[in-house]
Amino acid sequence: MSWSAELVEALGRENVITDPARLRTYECDGLTGYRVQPAMVVLPRSAGEVAAAVRVCARHGVPFVARGAGTGLSGGALPVADGIVISLQRLRRIMEVDPVNLRAVVEPGVTNLDISKAAAPYGLYYAPDPSSQQVCTIGGNVAENSGGAHCLKYGFTVNHVLAAEVVLADGTVTRLGGESPQLPGYDLLGAFIGSEGTLGIVTQVTVRLLAKPAAIRTMVADFATVAGAGDAVTGIIAAGIVPAAVEMLDNLAIQAVAASTESVYTPDTAAALVVELDGPPDDVAEQFDEVQEICRRNGSTKIMVAADAEHRALIWRGRKAAFAAVGRISPNYFVQDGVVPRGRLAEVLGRIAAMADDAGIRVANVFHAGDGNLHPLVLYSEGEGQHDRAEHLSTQIAELCVELGGSLSGEHGIGADKACSMPRMFGQDDLATMLRLRSAFDPDGLCNPGKVFPTPRLCGERPGPYRPHPLEEAGVIERL
Amino acid sequence: MSTVTTYRPSTLADLRDAMAESARAGERLAVAGAGTAVEWGGAPEHDAVLDTTAMSGLISYNPTDMTVAVQAGMPLRSLQETLAGNAQWVALDPALAAAGATVGGLVATADAGPVRHTFGASRDSVIGVTVVLADATVARSGGHVIKNVAGYDLAKLFHGSLGTLGVLAEVVLRLHPRPSATATLAVPCHAAAAFDLGGRLIHGSLEPVAVEWCGRVLLARFDGTAGGVEDRGRRAMALAGDGAEWLPGDDERAAAHWAAVADLVRGAEGDTVVRLGTAPDRTPSLAALVAREAAAHDVDAAMTSSPFAGAHTVRLRGGTASQHAAVVTALRAAAPAATVCRWTPGLRDQLPAWGEPPPAVAVLRAVKRAFDPNDRLGKGRFAPWF
Repeated sequence: MSWSAELVEALGRENVITDPARLRTYECDGLTGYRVQPAMVVLPRSAGEVAAAVRVCARHGVPFVARGAGTGLSGGALPVADGIVISLQRLRRIMEVDPVNLRAVVEPGVTNLDISKAAAPYGLYYAPDPSSQQVCTIGGNVAENSGGAHCLKYGFTVNHVLAAEVVLADGTVTRLGGESPQLPGYDLLGAFIGSEGTLGIVTQVTVRLLAKPAAIRTMVADFATVAGAGDAVTGIIAAGIVPAAVEMLDNLAIQAVAASTESVYTPDTAAALVVELDGPPDDVAEQFDEVQEICRRNGSTKIMVAADAEHRALIWRGRKAAFAAVGRISPNYFVQDGVVPRGRLAEVLGRIAAMADDAGIRVANVFHAGDGNLHPLVLYSEGEGQHDRAEHLSTQIAELCVELGGSLSGEHGIGADKACSMPRMFGQDDLATMLRLRSAFDPDGLCNPGKVFPTPRLCGERPGPYRPHPLEEAGVIERL
Repeated sequence: MSTVTTYRPSTLADLRDAMAESARAGERLAVAGAGTAVEWGGAPEHDAVLDTTAMSGLISYNPTDMTVAVQAGMPLRSLQETLAGNAQWVALDPALAAAGATVGGLVATADAGPVRHTFGASRDSVIGVTVVLADATVARSGGHVIKNVAGYDLAKLFHGSLGTLGVLAEVVLRLHPRPSATATLAVPCHAAAAFDLGGRLIHGSLEPVAVEWCGRVLLARFDGTAGGVEDRGRRAMALAGDGAEWLPGDDERAAAHWAAVADLVRGAEGDTVVRLGTAPDRTPSLAALVAREAAAHDVDAAMTSSPFAGAHTVRLRGGTASQHAAVVTALRAAAPAATVCRWTPGLRDQLPAWGEPPPAVAVLRAVKRAFDPNDRLGKGRFAPWF
C-alpha cells in the first residue's frame, strides 16, 4: 500500500486533505514570503492518531511538518513538497486546570490565551504572552520557545512548561519532564522546547500557572529622541527594578498604530516607552514613582499613566497590533527578531537607520527594550519590485545583531527564514554538535526538515562562511 | 584505583588538549568540580579525573546587561561575592554553594535551593555554554543575551548530565537585582498545614520568593522594597495566625532557619541524602511516608521541601546501611524521580544506583550514544539505566 493510502486508512478519509485548493491554506505560516504546497495534510484527533501518522511516515521515509495555528514568523511550519503537514488544530482540549498544584494540562491546539482564560476563575494565569496569543497555540509556543512582552520578568515558554507528551520521529509516544522539575537525567524537555518542531511533535503539555499579581501599573512615556528612551531603560534596570514589560515604539511605528482610531499614543513623538510594573501593591507603587522619575530625568516629554484596566488594555492593544498596523502604511513588510545586549540598543538603532537609508527602504521599530529584542519592520512594496532589496536588508539587520554580540532571533525562531544565517552566529562544530542531538531524536531527519540548520539546498552550495563572533575577537569567548 | 591520572586544565585550550589526550589513551574519565556532588547517583568507573577547579576565572561581566560569563570551575560563592558589589546576583541558592560548589558543577547536577520556587534551577539562569565533548570537540550554544532562541539549547541537555555528556568549560548566566529589603515568615506546623498556608500566601498574591518546609517549620521569604515587604509581612502574619513569627532580613533566627535547610540538604559523613520530585500536593503524604518508614526501620529521618516546586530532600541518619536501604526503597516506590546524593557506607552494595527509569530513558540513551559513543565519560554514573 502507498503511504498516502496508509494514512487515509489510519486516519479516515475525512481527516486527510489532498485537494490542491484546500492544501493551499497550509502552504505557508506567518512568514508568507515562503510557500510550499505539501503532498497531503492530515488532521488527527488524538495523540494516538498523531503517532499513527508519524509511524506511516517513518516506515516510508516521508518527511512531516507539525502545524498549530500557523502564526509563526520564521517559516517553522513551512511544508516540505514531498511530505505531509500534521495539523494539531483538532487537539484542543483543556484536560485539567489544577489550582492546588498551580498547573494545567492541555492539548497542543489550545490557544495561549485560552489557557489563561481557563485559569482565570482561580485567580491564576499562564505567563508567556506572545503578541499573537489570541490565536497562536501552546504546541507552537513549545516548538518555538515563545516569549512575549512580559518575558523580561517572567521568562519564556521553557520556564513555564513542566512536562510534555511527545511523539518521536519513529512514532513512539513518550513523556519528557514530570510532576516536578526536580528530575534526574538530562533535561530533554528543556532541549525539546524551542527545537522548532525538529525533535518530535508535542501532543500534550503541562504548564505552570501563576497567581495574578495584586497590582499592575502601566505608563506610556514619550521621548524627543530614541536615544533618550534607551537611556531611560538603562536607568530603570540600573535602579534594580525588573519591570513586567518595557516596550519601545519609534515614530514610524507610532504613526502606524495612530492610524487606528483608538490609538492612545502621541502621533508626533520620536519614541514612546511602555513600562509596566506588576506585583504586590506597595512594592509596585514605590517603584512606579521611581520609574517616572527616571523617565523625566532622561528627558521624557510626556508621561501618561493608565487610569484603569480598560485604558491599559488600549495601550497594549496598540502595542500588540503594531505589526498588523504597519499594513496601513506599507503594502508589504518583513519582521526581524534579532537581539542585542541592552547596552547597545542606541548603537544598533542608529546603524539600522543608516542601512535603511542606504537601501532606500523604511524601517519601523517596535521592540522589547528591556531585553534588547528588536522587531524591526522592514517596509516595502512588492508591486514596486522592492522585495529582494527589503529581504536583503532584513537579513543584514539580523546579522548585525550577531555582530554586536547578540542573537539572530529572540523569540520568532530560525525556521526556514534565518537558517542560512546560522553560520554567522555558530561555527561548524557548534552546529555539528547540535545535529548530534537531532540525530538522537530523529536519525532519519524526517521531522520538519530544512529548518534551523543551513543546508546546501536551502542556502546555495556555499553557506555563508563563519566569521569570528565579536566577543571572540575581543577575547571574551574562544573558539578552538 | 590507586594510580589515577588527574588533568587540571586552566584554559579552554588546555581542557580541549586534555580531552584529546585522554581520548587517544582511551581512558574512562570522571569529571569533577569542587567534588561536592561526587557521590550523586552511580560511582563512575574511571582511569583518570578531569578536575575543572583551575578554570575559575571571570570571563566578562557587564552589569548594565545583567549577564556574566565565567569559567565553569568558578565557585558560585565567589561569583556571588563579585556580583554583590553591583547589588546583583545569580538567582540560585543551592546548599552546596557554601561548600564551594562550582557553577559548572551546579549545572551538571541540576541543582537549586529554596528560591527555585520563583527562579527555577540553574537551567533557568544559564543563557549560554561552551562545552568540550569526549572527542575534544568544542561547541557553544546560546550566547550572551537573555532572550535567544537561535539553535538548540545544549545547556539544557547538560543540565543534570552528571559529567556523562562532556565537560562544561564556560557558562554565561543572567543576573537579577538584589532586593532592597527581605524578611522571613516562620510558622511551626506540620506538612499539611504548611502546604495549605503556602498555598494561601501564593493565591493571596503575596509573592513569596521562597517557600520551604523544614524541621516542622514553614519558611516563606519575601523580597522587595522596604515598604512592600513590610506591608506583605502584615498580611502574611494575619493569614498565618498564632505561633507565626516575622523575621526581618538581618534577624539571626531567619538566617538560622535557612542555614538549617542547607545543612540538611548537604548532610554529613555517614548520612544518606536523597532528593525527590513529586507533584506539590503530595508533599504531606511524602512527609508522612518518611516519618513512617524511618520509625519502622529505626532510622532518624529529616526532610526539607520546596512544596510548590515539588522538590524534596530527605536525610537519613543513624542505623545501618540495610535500614537506610529499606527506607530509600520505600521512597523510590513513592517517587521514582529520586537521586541518592550521599550514601552511607555499605549502602551502595544493597541498592542499585537508580530506581525506576523515566519514560524517555531510550532517548537519554540515544543522546548519550550521540555525544559519547565510547562511553568514556562518567561510565556507570547512570547505571543501571545506561
